[in-house]
Amino acid sequence: MTKRDKIIYWTGFGVIVALLIVAPLVLPPYWSRFVTEILIWGLLAMSSDVLIGYTGMVSFGHSAFFGLGMYGAAAALLMVSPPNLILALAFGLIGAAAVSAFVAYFSTRLRDIYFAITTLIFSQIFYVIIFTWTEVTGGENGLSFRRPAFGIPGIWTTPFTAETLHWFVLALVVGSYLLLRRIMHSPFGMVLQSIRENEPRTRAIGYPVERYKIVAVMLSGLFAGLAGVLYAVQNRFAAPDFVFFLISGEAVIFNVMGGIGTLVGPIVGAATFLLLREGLGRLFGEQFPYLIPLGFIFIAIIIFLPQGLLGFMRRWLNK
Amino acid sequence: MLRTEGLTIRFGGLTALNNVNFQIGRGEIRAIIGPNGAGKSTFFNCVTGVLRPTSGRILLNGADITGLSPNLISRAGVARSYQITNILPNATTMENVRIAAQSRRHGWNMLRHYSSFRDIAEKAESVLASVGLAAKADELASNLSHGEQRNLEIGIALATEPQLLCLDEPTAGMSAAETHDTIQLVREIAKNLTILIVEHDMPLVMDLADRITVFHYGEILAEGPPAEIQNNPRVLEVYLKT
Repeated sequence: MTKRDKIIYWTGFGVIVALLIVAPLVLPPYWSRFVTEILIWGLLAMSSDVLIGYTGMVSFGHSAFFGLGMYGAAAALLMVSPPNLILALAFGLIGAAAVSAFVAYFSTRLRDIYFAITTLIFSQIFYVIIFTWTEVTGGENGLSFRRPAFGIPGIWTTPFTAETLHWFVLALVVGSYLLLRRIMHSPFGMVLQSIRENEPRTRAIGYPVERYKIVAVMLSGLFAGLAGVLYAVQNRFAAPDFVFFLISGEAVIFNVMGGIGTLVGPIVGAATFLLLREGLGRLFGEQFPYLIPLGFIFIAIIIFLPQGLLGFMRRWLNK
Repeated sequence: MLRTEGLTIRFGGLTALNNVNFQIGRGEIRAIIGPNGAGKSTFFNCVTGVLRPTSGRILLNGADITGLSPNLISRAGVARSYQITNILPNATTMENVRIAAQSRRHGWNMLRHYSSFRDIAEKAESVLASVGLAAKADELASNLSHGEQRNLEIGIALATEPQLLCLDEPTAGMSAAETHDTIQLVREIAKNLTILIVEHDMPLVMDLADRITVFHYGEILAEGPPAEIQNNPRVLEVYLKT
């Protein structure tokens, strides 16, 4: 990036973050909560961009990582009283990391559609386990729990308000973005992009491609798990619906809409999709199948903006 | 430096390589010639780990590298260029070479920006200069001319700092002028490493190579210095027949 590009980039970044900071102070509670939710779904979509956009592997297994983050957090919140935020994060991330390591080990041996299907099957296995193991997971009804307080338990804590929860989520999402951006622009990230461009050649110049892919899937799964933890903390429940593959599909749709390989694109995609769904639902009423016009809009985006909404910035954002 | 013992590979009923005993010494330029389907590229694929031989051994500096995966063979010091251009088309020329240079250091570093590694950048720049693409560093690889892409191909291989460089028809599809330049380039880089080259242009091969190995139906038909090969009746017969 040239100096001028840097100034433009960080100014844009600062403005957007500033807007998101003031959002809960100016928006009505419903919409403020909606923005928090967009950030969480954006984080999930961004984590899958590491695979879709940077490594060239389409994962349909992100619901499993998201769900394990959610149920991991639920386990921590139900076991320890009073509920402990740090423990919820730790449990959720360990759960997601363990599952993604398991899925990565087997699925990275395959490529393209076979990889996608394998991740989908694994996530469905976890869905079925969670759905049927009622004693532990609450089965169909899921688990509900109290929201932990913000802070370090035993030293200083304060209950979350709608505003502080938003800022907490925002801080983690922005932090995740900066960290993932750095990783994607590191030598490691360059190898992932090289695998996307030409896998056999990457292997031929000396990279153990499988190992890089395993680490990429785990990295992606970890951030998807973080999104799951945040969703659990926000909504105070964990439900098997969030492990179902439809969630993985939505993550892929957010990526395609927003622009893969940009990290911010998927967040924009999530925002666009969720706002459109909300807006169409309100415009036509809940009875109307508002997903049909949404589908047409999605098709229009694919035809007229095949790179996604932020696709035109892709090269610039990755300088 | 590189030695194969009884190297054999079969695809179903077809024997692509049959009991190939091949040897190349350090610093040599060795050309491999032979009619189409003689097993030249298959031989390269075996040596670089893309194909696993049915039987036989491949030794690099005395160490057995048979059946190792391509990334391990690359690390052992064997690099190759491809007959059909095989680059990262959506990356710039510089990025293509840099990713190859980086394969020997910092490949797992996640927390520093790639551009902060001076050693990688310097290596990549020197390689680009040596293959004559320094002026095109920021050009997308897919926008380069065919000849330039072929040279980039060699540049990527060079950036992995090999001891043995296998060039599979580096001048395929090039104009006479481009061919001349590329051969000059090969001569230049041959000063520091061992080169195995598949090439069809006979006068060029005779001029370039220290020794020539002739493949025919997956076997070594003849081997020797260019002058000897030129007058070998069996070689003449094979080339006249096809």
